[in-house]
Amino acid sequence: MLIVVNPSSGVPVFRQVMDQVRFHIASGLLEPGDELPPTRSLSAELGVNPMTISKAYNLLERDGVLERRPGRPLVVAKLDPTDLDLEKLDQLRASLADAARAAHQLGVDTREAVRVFRELLECDDKEK
Amino acid sequence: MSVLALNNIHRSFEPGVPVLAGVDLTVNGGEVVGLLGRNGAGKTTLIHIAMGMLRQQEGTVEVFGLDPHEQPVEVKRRVGFVSENQNLPAFLKVREVIELHRALFETWDDEMAGRLVDRFGLRPGARIKNLSKGQARQVALLCALCHRPELLLLDEPAGGLDALARREFLEASIQTLSDTGTTIVYSSHYLSDVERLAGRVVMLHDTKVLIDNSIDELHESFSIAFVPHRPQGTSEALLALPECLGVRVRTDAVHAVFRLDPDDACALITEKLGVSDAMCRTAGLEEMFIEIAGGER
Repeated sequence: MLIVVNPSSGVPVFRQVMDQVRFHIASGLLEPGDELPPTRSLSAELGVNPMTISKAYNLLERDGVLERRPGRPLVVAKLDPTDLDLEKLDQLRASLADAARAAHQLGVDTREAVRVFRELLECDDKEK
Repeated sequence: MSVLALNNIHRSFEPGVPVLAGVDLTVNGGEVVGLLGRNGAGKTTLIHIAMGMLRQQEGTVEVFGLDPHEQPVEVKRRVGFVSENQNLPAFLKVREVIELHRALFETWDDEMAGRLVDRFGLRPGARIKNLSKGQARQVALLCALCHRPELLLLDEPAGGLDALARREFLEASIQTLSDTGTTIVYSSHYLSDVERLAGRVVMLHDTKVLIDNSIDELHESFSIAFVPHRPQGTSEALLALPECLGVRVRTDAVHAVFRLDPDDACALITEKLGVSDAMCRTAGLEEMFIEIAGGER
């Protein structure tokens, strides 16, 4: 599972881990029933305090994103399809928030901003 | 019970020039505390007082509920210590230094020692006097870690280590944390390492504890406000705001650190000073440190 953290970004590391797990689930890279790496190995791999990883896992479990079964690895919970769609939109909204702020600061109007976004989408489609 | 309890610590080395004046710090089992502060802020003094190597002039120290001056052996048995200018016996070989520590501590872990010798790439037959500064530090770290102490007191443990050796040390510490949940108090100028390892950050400034917060709080509930130069938004006006920790006047703007999240900081500046175009954001530890340590208050 690809998780990359930047401890100096000003975003708490536990939140970076949570965001990336959610993103991977929304994108389908992680599917229901997939196992998460144990706290110990993920913390060693990322070079961060194990408490940080358990904090992220515990919060994801509280949110119903992960499931803990006694004596077994944590797994991705089964999401119902509507929730998954909502999650996808949440992720997209989070990514676009910065772009929206930039559009405001630059004084680009809504119609132009939407046109640019459509262009980028079409460009991305062509590459695939 | 707390692992380390420092209450109202006062210490000066010259009359009238206090290094620490009324410092309180309580650390509970399993916590990892990063001790920050400028050079001369009293980090080493504080760690030496906790180790019983230096006596406070006022206040009390307890390590595992014991006074490190009254019961030095009992305390030191359970503490691992590395300092920046620690001297190992120069004429001994690496192997002999390890043997010496092994004989002193009942809790010595041979498997861990072997693993760290490999990991740090240490040559057991090398004499201490022929080691580089960084290699000698790694021997000291190994000796501090391998008796599996309940408390690790590290004074600038990574000073003089190259980036890879620093990472090796960080990983060894993380492994120790995972295995035994050791309590760690360490001072460091490598703030990105502090962000990786510490759960809690304590900053000493002007003889006192200025900040004592979790690293997550520092990242989310503290912010830097960039306030454009305006007659109402002077550094004095900003400093008068109760949540302002310090200000720095720069050519672009006045930089002010707030104990508030960015939205609340902006709202406060708009409401109290009538400046609506301040830009507020969270920051990493290094930027925060520079703004606080380099500012006025």
